[in-house]
Amino acid sequence: MAIVVKLDDLLHAKRMTLTDLSDRIGITLANLSILKTGKAKAMRFSTLEAICNELECQPGDLLVFEADS
Amino acid sequence: MPKDHSTLLGATRGLLWLMLALVAAAFLFVMAAAGALVVIWPDIAVGVKDSEVFIDPATIRPPLFALLGILAMVLAVAVFILRKLQALVASASSDPFIPANAARLRHIGWALVAVQLLALPLGSIARSIAVPTSQFADMGGIDLNGILSILLAFVLAAVFERGAAMRDELEGTV
Repeated sequence: MAIVVKLDDLLHAKRMTLTDLSDRIGITLANLSILKTGKAKAMRFSTLEAICNELECQPGDLLVFEADS
Repeated sequence: MPKDHSTLLGATRGLLWLMLALVAAAFLFVMAAAGALVVIWPDIAVGVKDSEVFIDPATIRPPLFALLGILAMVLAVAVFILRKLQALVASASSDPFIPANAARLRHIGWALVAVQLLALPLGSIARSIAVPTSQFADMGGIDLNGILSILLAFVLAAVFERGAAMRDELEGTV
């Protein structure tokens, strides 16, 4: 997939687990897991905003485009 | 789901079972008629001559067998359509926008095409053996309602396919 979700790296940098993030932003662990594993087909702006707000990052820190080789 | 919809679905479910029972009864009638043509043909021939429905009662036995054969095929296709409709109605109460329902509707569309194609020889055989003014000669042939039903089934299949794709996309949205 060309868009890579760097949620794992951001969580690691903040010393936070997926469960912590789920509790803080009110998005289910199942949905965050889908996002983290790159299985999500689309992402709401509200989700992006909540994650960026909690992890103090920019959308570009979370989503990175990597060209398929 | 609103209550009136579940009532409608319940009524449709009952109606589909009733239609299946009628088709089964019609199939038994066709089988009985075919058996009667074999076993008691002399008696039938006398009745046919008196009815004045057929052009040449002496030669109608083979065409009548052909008619019954086609009718049996139409009834088999009707059972196929009704079973697909039952599966559609069963899923309508929970999860209708699935790729399986799009496939079911497409199968129904093709089955309706088969019914229309079977109606053509049915009509031509009926017209060749019955006097034109009789009700028997009106059997089969091209039916505008049937063609509209075919179009409706294929359009609905496309709608369900799109609906299933949209729902799939929505489920993958985080």
